[in-house]
Amino acid sequence: MHAFSWFVLVPMVYAAVLVFLVGMAWRIGRILKRPAFAPPLTLFPVKRPAWLYALSDTLFMPRVLRHNRTLWIALMAFHLGLAVLIIGHLELIREFKILQIIPHAIFPGKGLVGLVMLLSLAYFLVRRAFSPTKELSTPEDSLVLVLLMAVVLFGSQMDWARTWYGYESMGLPEYRGYMWSLLTLKPDPSMVLSAGHAFMLVAHVLFANLLLMVFPFTHLPHAMFSFALNRVRRG
Amino acid sequence: MDTALKDTLLALYEGKLTRQMMLNLETCTRCGLCTKACHAYASMPLPKYAPAYRAEVVRRIYKKYFLPLGGLWGRLGEAKPLDDAALEELNEAAYSCTGCRRCMVYCPFGVDTQQIMSIAKLLLIGAGTEPEVLTMLADMSISKGEAIDSMKEGFLGGLKRLEEQVVAKWKVEAGAVPIPTDVEGADTLYVALAGAHSIVPAAAIFNAAGEKWTLSFFEAVNFGAFVGDPAKTKLILNRIVDEALRLKVKQVCVCECGTAVRVLKQLSGEQPFTVTSLTEMHARYLREGRIAVRKLPGSYTYHDPCQIARNGGVMDEPRYILSRIVEDYREMAPEPAYNWCCGGGGGLVAMGEDTLDFRMKSSKVKAEQIAATKAAIVTTACENCHTQLENVNTHYGLGTEVRFLSSLLADALAAR
Repeated sequence: MHAFSWFVLVPMVYAAVLVFLVGMAWRIGRILKRPAFAPPLTLFPVKRPAWLYALSDTLFMPRVLRHNRTLWIALMAFHLGLAVLIIGHLELIREFKILQIIPHAIFPGKGLVGLVMLLSLAYFLVRRAFSPTKELSTPEDSLVLVLLMAVVLFGSQMDWARTWYGYESMGLPEYRGYMWSLLTLKPDPSMVLSAGHAFMLVAHVLFANLLLMVFPFTHLPHAMFSFALNRVRRG
Repeated sequence: MDTALKDTLLALYEGKLTRQMMLNLETCTRCGLCTKACHAYASMPLPKYAPAYRAEVVRRIYKKYFLPLGGLWGRLGEAKPLDDAALEELNEAAYSCTGCRRCMVYCPFGVDTQQIMSIAKLLLIGAGTEPEVLTMLADMSISKGEAIDSMKEGFLGGLKRLEEQVVAKWKVEAGAVPIPTDVEGADTLYVALAGAHSIVPAAAIFNAAGEKWTLSFFEAVNFGAFVGDPAKTKLILNRIVDEALRLKVKQVCVCECGTAVRVLKQLSGEQPFTVTSLTEMHARYLREGRIAVRKLPGSYTYHDPCQIARNGGVMDEPRYILSRIVEDYREMAPEPAYNWCCGGGGGLVAMGEDTLDFRMKSSKVKAEQIAATKAAIVTTACENCHTQLENVNTHYGLGTEVRFLSSLLADALAAR
């Protein structure tokens, strides 16, 4: 087994998860440790129940829909795709019958989910190249997008290779074997390294590891902070 | 900048880091959706006027000193040291933002640029580079409050001269005082601004409604809030709170001053009295039938003062008042929450001529919004907005008249 592949698929995965968990706990913890600002910061008009509207703001981004429809379509496509793929990854651990409402082999969507996500990410990246978003953006913003694109691209490549090009030598049993070995702390990536397109998995996991490790130190936790901040605005 | 000053400023910065502030600083994805929400950007499309850009000026310092790996990762996040150049940027960011919070209407997360700008303003105070005139006004206001006993006689003499004007608008019963002061047990303490325009119409309406009221000895305006000095804000606020407690009033009614309304409503804390704006009070009188009115001729529109409307929730009341006193009302914005800022908030009007050029350039969209209504009279319920709108009116040759809502209502008072 190639040492680099082993490093990416075993110790780096554990390290990435550890950095992510500790980093996020630290980032959230230091915010919670701060005193709350007592006076209300509500933006009017208010609607009740505030928490429900804040949840709707978080999940459906109605303000984006109203002010920039194209951006909203891309954001919803990306975030829904992300949710589908995150849930899809659960099936790489074990079978969840409820997730088979729409029958599928490994991931639903026949590879289209990844494609849609890639297009959305490309749109976000291009958007950042034009004024006024260009002047607002930092290198971090682009780096995060490139990392996400790399994760999705190589992840989708595996799906595309398996479903579109007939590379079936790496399928569900191999993925589950590898994932279980990681979860049970008896790491064994050998079963996913035999296929010809194993390099795609290694690249996918490499970029996913990097993304997890930088996640707590970027603006990506907006996913966790959005509801709290929307709740402040909703009063 | 020497190390001692930098440390002082960083301590001030840290003091502002409440839970909400950290969320404001850490959630923005710089999507730029807020850009077109800002009246300054909409009038002068320069990136530096985008709310997210202004916030980023403050955030870069945060990244440098308060985020992990500030030095290393900071390069990718464009973290910046707190130095003289940063202070200049903070000044431009803070004093090109009126704190209208229209950007919050657009932001998918609700990032509060006004809150973030409060850090910038505090750092400028700490460095002694804030607009001098605002600190001077705040200090003068504090001194006036401290010397209130020696100024009472002159103040009461001034009120006596206004009483005739009040009676001309609404006759009081024989023996009744048109402008009562220092009345213990009054229902309402009215906090006005210096000037007849803030006292006469309000007094006439209180008297017409049979309100048991008393006029505050203090001015409502809070220059401490304009300059962003929490200590001075509290000092100016507390003397009104103390007066209300001393007189045992049930409510404090704040005149047509957006900042004063917001400061008193939101910073007074738990008190045995409630705080209301003059506009809310007037709408209540009309709804309860405590005053009778007639319809005034002419065409009218209403400018929502940001601190009273978007940031205070008083949106329906002025429209209700206008629906009762004018025939021809023309809505300025499809939704009050989207009304453009006049461009005079955040202390900009108080800075007078120094900011006039920026105020006029940045209020182009407001001028267009007013012109589109073709109304002859623009009404509003905020002193700052009124001054700014008069400047806008002259600068853009709109040919409208700018009126306070209370003054319009006082003109519409009719005998039952």
